[in-house]
Amino acid sequence: MPTSARASDNPSADLLPLFEFSNVINSSLDMKFILGTVLLTVMGKMLVSKGMVLLKKEDQEYQVVNAKGVGSDVEGMTFVVPKSPKGIITIRRGRNDTRAWMLFFRDHGIALIVPIVTQGNVVGFLGLGERLGGRKYTERDRQLISSLVNLSASAIEKALIIDQLKEANRNLDRKYQELNTLFDLGREFNVVLESDKVIRLLTFSLLGQVGVNRYAICLDTGTEMKIVASRLDGNEGIEQTFKDLQQLKSPEIVEELARKKRFAEAAAVLLQRGIRVVVPMMTQNDVKGFIFLGKRLRGGSYGRGDLEFLAALANLAIISIENARLFREALEKQRLEDELAIAREIQQGLLPRSLPVIEGFDAAAINVPSKQVGGDYYDVVQISPHEFIFAIGDVSGKGTGAALLMANVQASLRAFAPMGMSLSEATARINNLTCQSTGQGKFITFFWGSLNIPRRVFRYVNAGHNPPMLFHADGSLEKLDVGGIILGLMNTISPYEEGTVQLRQGDVLVMYTDGVSEAMNAQGEDFTEERLERLIKSKLTLSARQLIDEIQTALDAYTRGTPQSDDITMLVLKVL
Amino acid sequence: MSEFKIHHRSGEGVSVIDLKGYLDAHTAPELENALQKLIEEKKFNIVVNCKDLSYISSAGLGVFMAYIEDVRKNRGDIKLTNMSPKVYNVFDLLGFPILYEIYKDEQDAIKKFQDARSVQS
Repeated sequence: MPTSARASDNPSADLLPLFEFSNVINSSLDMKFILGTVLLTVMGKMLVSKGMVLLKKEDQEYQVVNAKGVGSDVEGMTFVVPKSPKGIITIRRGRNDTRAWMLFFRDHGIALIVPIVTQGNVVGFLGLGERLGGRKYTERDRQLISSLVNLSASAIEKALIIDQLKEANRNLDRKYQELNTLFDLGREFNVVLESDKVIRLLTFSLLGQVGVNRYAICLDTGTEMKIVASRLDGNEGIEQTFKDLQQLKSPEIVEELARKKRFAEAAAVLLQRGIRVVVPMMTQNDVKGFIFLGKRLRGGSYGRGDLEFLAALANLAIISIENARLFREALEKQRLEDELAIAREIQQGLLPRSLPVIEGFDAAAINVPSKQVGGDYYDVVQISPHEFIFAIGDVSGKGTGAALLMANVQASLRAFAPMGMSLSEATARINNLTCQSTGQGKFITFFWGSLNIPRRVFRYVNAGHNPPMLFHADGSLEKLDVGGIILGLMNTISPYEEGTVQLRQGDVLVMYTDGVSEAMNAQGEDFTEERLERLIKSKLTLSARQLIDEIQTALDAYTRGTPQSDDITMLVLKVL
Repeated sequence: MSEFKIHHRSGEGVSVIDLKGYLDAHTAPELENALQKLIEEKKFNIVVNCKDLSYISSAGLGVFMAYIEDVRKNRGDIKLTNMSPKVYNVFDLLGFPILYEIYKDEQDAIKKFQDARSVQS
């Protein structure tokens, strides 16, 4: 019996290389190495110059992951194999097959297709070209190829799982990175209270995390929605999209938005500006702003995970921006209140704590500051043993400015009055000083007079103040309106005139500011000078203090708690 | 948290920014200031050495994104060097290696700038 069988006819001669092959590929987890080794081993054994390995990418979709001798452009190509064959398929040249994947193999010179099967599932294919020298694949060849492929299947499967794990790991890393970004920003937003800085940090995080360099951030400023930061190739038309986009509840891909009728118009504008994603910034259910993003520079489209991340980022940012706004408002309010407290303090400091006792006369005064603190002022100063100055004034404007201006007037009044200067001369000087120390549009209505006790003569100058009412005991009424221009309007050109009145027993002089006559009721109607006049006329027998109380009661009844915008000030002098 | 520091060196037509510590939302404005200053001074060949950078957040990466266009428009570049694996991982995750040139060593980046300049001249 002839024993000259070729080595390849001896099954045990094939076993050793198979064992080595199995060892090599099973000791590696690198898919590229495994597939390369399988392909080259089979090609070497079969003497084939063309070969390729395909792996399943998606359901029915296969991708060429390794190719030899068929051109460099083949790697990476994918196509669909609807019904994967479980056994070896031989492609015969010339036979007409309409299946795209069969044509693909045939056109690339593949003659034999071997499915890679693990646990009953096809995970890929090995494709081999014609054998060199025109030899056919024998049944034995097929068995050997099958053995090699089967041996490699478990290594491939292992590597596949590793690849999947790597991918899962990377996705986890990415999620972790996103969470870190949110955490990083959240922590920083908590300590940053300027919305400009919040917007800047938001921008950086968007650019870094998403990998874009075209963006716009729009915010509701309270009155309107506007672009607060952007880098686009032109902003035209974007603001016109806000109205439609207000209906969005979550981040949207602009191309998908374009397919919805009510957003189509807005989406067209956004696409034209290179915007791919729009993210509404919401508090509760209100859209308070938008983030617009262009295409990603590193390629790839926006996925669901990206949109989720953007929604979280937008919400985080808008809360901080809203907080910054509320904080600013609270700060401003506090600042105003502080200023008002100072103004009130200055004003109250200027007013006399008590009026001097003047023999033969009865004087009383009141000042009720309004919430905003007007610039009302009154004063009673003794300038000689038998002379007293009575003054009342009202500075335009409110708050600290008005109070300081009034302090100036008081200082000059107290300086000039005892210098033996006439009221007219002193008023002219006070006016010039006031003009120098006031800005545009600040002025003072001012009335003052000097009372000569023994002669009961009252000389006065009225610089634009509402005329004090002098009720004579005989029932007549005199309004003290002689004087000149309001203080602070312009330097004195024509001298202030002085008025003189002779006082008699029972006369009542009521000096007041417009906070009294213009006290407002809920309907916005003034108390009026006429009503004040009638009221006083009926109460002339009261003491100065009682009269003031009476007027105040009447004002309270009239205004019924309506907040007053002006101070209420009265100075009453009664002749005993 | 370790503090963040920026040190700036320049020479041979290349400006080197050394980053140290944590680059996050809190410290990103410092890097922004440094880059703005270089751009104002028309120094567009910028190398950012990350040797002592222990952490970078996306806000930090965003600063590079915000200025790369201005720099490249002026025929310059921002090249990154000497990253630790941890820092590189963040760059990699966010796809930055295809947007920026990243070198193992600062000298490589500087040389690249110099080569480019000698080609131009």
